[in-house]
Amino acid sequence: MSSMPDAIVKQDAKYLADNARRRKRFSLWFYFLCVAIALISVVILIFLMASIWSQGHSRLSSDLLTRSHSELEIERSGMWPSILGSLFVCGTCAVVALPLGVGTAVFLEEFQPTNKLLRWIHGFVQLNISNLAGVPSIVYGLLGLTVFVYMFNVFGQIRVNESAGMEIMGYKHFYQVLTLEPGHVVFVPQSDPTKRQTTFDEPFQAVDPDGNSIEISIWTPGTPKPSDPAIRRQTVRAGAIGGTITERSWYYFRLPFDKSFLSAGLTLALVILPIIIISSQESLRGVPSSLREASMGLGATTWQTVRDVCLPAALPGIMTGAILAMGRAIGEAAPILVVMGAAVAKSTGPKHLMDDAVTMPVLIFNWAGRQQDEFKELSAAAIIVLLVVLLLLNSTAIYIRHHVQKAQS
Amino acid sequence: MTLPKSLQNREFRSTRWGVLSERLIVISLALCATATVLITIGIIYMLITQSAGFFRSDAVTMSGFLTDTEWTALQSKDLAQAKFGIMPLLSGTFRVTLIAMIISLPLGLITAIYLSEFASAKIRSWLKPTLEIIAGVPTVVLGYFAILVISPSLQLFSDGAFSTFNATSAGIAVGILCLPMVCSLSEDAMRAVPRSLREGAYGLGCTPFETSVKVVVPAALSGIISAFLLAFSRAIGETMVVALAAGTLPTMTLDPTQQAQTMTGFIVEMIKSESEYGTVQYYSLYAVAVTLFTITFLMTLVGQIIRRRFKESYQ
Repeated sequence: MSSMPDAIVKQDAKYLADNARRRKRFSLWFYFLCVAIALISVVILIFLMASIWSQGHSRLSSDLLTRSHSELEIERSGMWPSILGSLFVCGTCAVVALPLGVGTAVFLEEFQPTNKLLRWIHGFVQLNISNLAGVPSIVYGLLGLTVFVYMFNVFGQIRVNESAGMEIMGYKHFYQVLTLEPGHVVFVPQSDPTKRQTTFDEPFQAVDPDGNSIEISIWTPGTPKPSDPAIRRQTVRAGAIGGTITERSWYYFRLPFDKSFLSAGLTLALVILPIIIISSQESLRGVPSSLREASMGLGATTWQTVRDVCLPAALPGIMTGAILAMGRAIGEAAPILVVMGAAVAKSTGPKHLMDDAVTMPVLIFNWAGRQQDEFKELSAAAIIVLLVVLLLLNSTAIYIRHHVQKAQS
Repeated sequence: MTLPKSLQNREFRSTRWGVLSERLIVISLALCATATVLITIGIIYMLITQSAGFFRSDAVTMSGFLTDTEWTALQSKDLAQAKFGIMPLLSGTFRVTLIAMIISLPLGLITAIYLSEFASAKIRSWLKPTLEIIAGVPTVVLGYFAILVISPSLQLFSDGAFSTFNATSAGIAVGILCLPMVCSLSEDAMRAVPRSLREGAYGLGCTPFETSVKVVVPAALSGIISAFLLAFSRAIGETMVVALAAGTLPTMTLDPTQQAQTMTGFIVEMIKSESEYGTVQYYSLYAVAVTLFTITFLMTLVGQIIRRRFKESYQ
């Protein structure tokens, strides 16, 4: 018979029982600690929601949803332009990021190379995407500022009230000149784009604010002044100076993009691109390979397999990921702040592609940083609106995840 | 031997067009993937060329940038008086990040242990969505929470020892932000540990505490460490919370009750000040961004490598 180790031979029954009891008690305490700490996150969430609700619920009114920011009437400030702005910015972002992201995911998942060099590149791109997901969003903001807003200053700087840069389409320059009728102006199409002012001495053709072409005559001071308003509207003092004004169609396009909602949307697309790629890759990975093999066995090419088998099967997952990424985009403030600045005075939504915009998170940031209590409350109310939008988005995502996926399997 | 009738009469379509379109599609998908590489190149190119405008200036030296203890890019409009030493901004960033980590790492890890080892399916089904909701709260909302609730309560409990804007309130809010991330990544790592390891531990007489802390956590350590690193880099890059709650004064202390302008906070203030494009002060923005990007990029890279290289595989 082999000899037993000392530890087993010299067992002390009392010591072992005590030890076991101590360890069990310790384990139980650890369990309670776990429960308590897990509860903390629930408490934090409830506390967060409750404090924002208690601050902001009194400001939830139709004014908040329909009016714009106002320094003079703080009481009646609203967030309508910022809702429109968020919609435009996130729309741009979705249009750019979704095809790009899903395309990249399909390429990385479904077209895996066999060649050694290509495999190395594949792995590098994959690592690069994980790294991009970790880049702070404010760095993307600076990228957007340099690439979209200023375009490395290749096209010159854009100054306030000046149409510098390179205008490509959707614009009409006019000289604006006052007629004898007070407050009434007519417009003359600008022929020389570099001349910012012009003087009128001869009768000329012009366009009135309603868009009708009219003949304008000149009145020289010293001669009798016409008294009929209709004639006064078609007469200009000799030597009147016309300054330029630009009429922009919705498709107005220029380089660089300046502080426009287009720049902001493109920048946000950069921010959420890695998120969309990673989530789409995961849902494509979830498609069973038997489906692919069956399709390939029937003679389909790789792309036909992807288009008709993999993408439909992975669609609920891709959509869920996309919606969650859009939720991230709506709440993202830092890159937009860098690209479009912190100004919130705009009272309408964007009018053309190069127009600036206010978004909800930037408005909240601006209001929250102010001294007045009214703005703090308005900020809380705007947060409630933002959270409701996010809640709607997220519940759509959860609905898709639970129901569409179940229906497919 | 003759072919069957059905094959004799069959007209085979040319596959040339199909092959061509297939190739075009693969190329366009490859271009999509190239875009991600272009973004990285774009970021690095942008940071280098733009910060060159800062480092080339006579008012700046590389050693001064790394060692000086004053940063007055915003306060001094006159270039001769401006001091560019990154240390105060780094100190602010690390104060906020440290506080955030003190909160989010233990809480996140223990919540993850609870979720993966103890919680019943029912508790999971409402604790997980709670964490997902916290993860989905926009950061500007947490910043508002920090100045509305956390900072006043800190002042209340400490009899006003904390200034209105301080590193602690921002750190706590950033910690709340990182908590769901630490938790879900560590939980994923722990759930990947095979059941047989747990059963082995229980079979040897381990208590649930010993099983989870001495067996499961070490087995999932690579995942947990990479989660920590990712949370750390997230906290360093966090912007809106610190812009609202951490104050605008770059300070070089270890005192968590004082203001602490972070690197991201400085970038926001610089943008808000609408400083003129092209000045050295403006370009200092990019020098700060280079520092920020380098730190977070290294963190993420190391995190990814740890997760891939040291992943325990149980086959």
